Amino acid sequence: MRYVKWTILVTFWILVAAFLHYTLPQHDIARITDTEVRRVDPGGNSWFWASADAGSDGTVSNRDVFFISVVRDGGSVMVYRNEDTGWGWPPYFKFDTSNLQAEAADLRSTAANPQWVVIKHYGWRNEFFTIFPNALSVRAVDGPDVRIFPWVNIVLLTLFAGAFWAIYIRWRRFRIARIDPVLENMGDGLDSVGDHFTRCRNRLRTWLRGWRQK
Amino acid sequence: MFAIARALAIGFLALSVVYICLWQYFRAGKRERLEHELDGQASKGERTQVIEAKMRDYTHLLKRRLILGVYILPLTLISVVIGLTNT
Repeated sequence: MRYVKWTILVTFWILVAAFLHYTLPQHDIARITDTEVRRVDPGGNSWFWASADAGSDGTVSNRDVFFISVVRDGGSVMVYRNEDTGWGWPPYFKFDTSNLQAEAADLRSTAANPQWVVIKHYGWRNEFFTIFPNALSVRAVDGPDVRIFPWVNIVLLTLFAGAFWAIYIRWRRFRIARIDPVLENMGDGLDSVGDHFTRCRNRLRTWLRGWRQK
Repeated sequence: MFAIARALAIGFLALSVVYICLWQYFRAGKRERLEHELDGQASKGERTQVIEAKMRDYTHLLKRRLILGVYILPLTLISVVIGLTNT
């Protein structure tokens, strides 16, 4: 029983952590190498694509999506999609996809003459499902060793932890005051029912034994 | 337009659930504190009267604070995020 409880708890917290890791903004320092448009047909991976641009027809299953290709400061490559989040989830309320694409195209550079940028994004890159992080903004920086302090994440995670803690201790107090005593009573009740059964069974056994001896 | 309406409707419903929960929670807590404060200090009728009067004042204050905190604050935040994201 304890293993079941721990498995459920650990799974739950892994899911929460994964959800937060996907949804919260992150910053990459990179050099933009290309900006392009590709047609995508989201299928099994459609969870990881946003919707069509705000205001346009969202019922067509395939559409053109902006992409930004970069080389990160470590030398690895990364590809971002650039899509409106609109009024949906996650609540970044991003509507300026086309403007962002224009800014990204303006900041393109070569390895010989690099222009470093900070790309704010959310989401994951996964080659097996063909999913891409969604770029939220780009900003030019002087060099690849700029430090970024994740204020938004710190504030949001603190608020989240605070809210969770506040609800959790109230639930605990409520459980100790209202639910546990009831369960205990029920347990006592079940015990007494059990006692009754034991008594009945013992009586039956004595009776049977009595018969056998006759 | 449909997307905004849907987002607003879902947001309003979710915030209303939060509003109702907080409303009940804070009022219950306040009532309990008042009852505890007035324990053995007044006669039963007087006690009920005092509690009801204080609860009326508190309810007024709570309503204002909750509307600000639960409806106005998130809307302001959303507006700020929209402004910051799309510039």
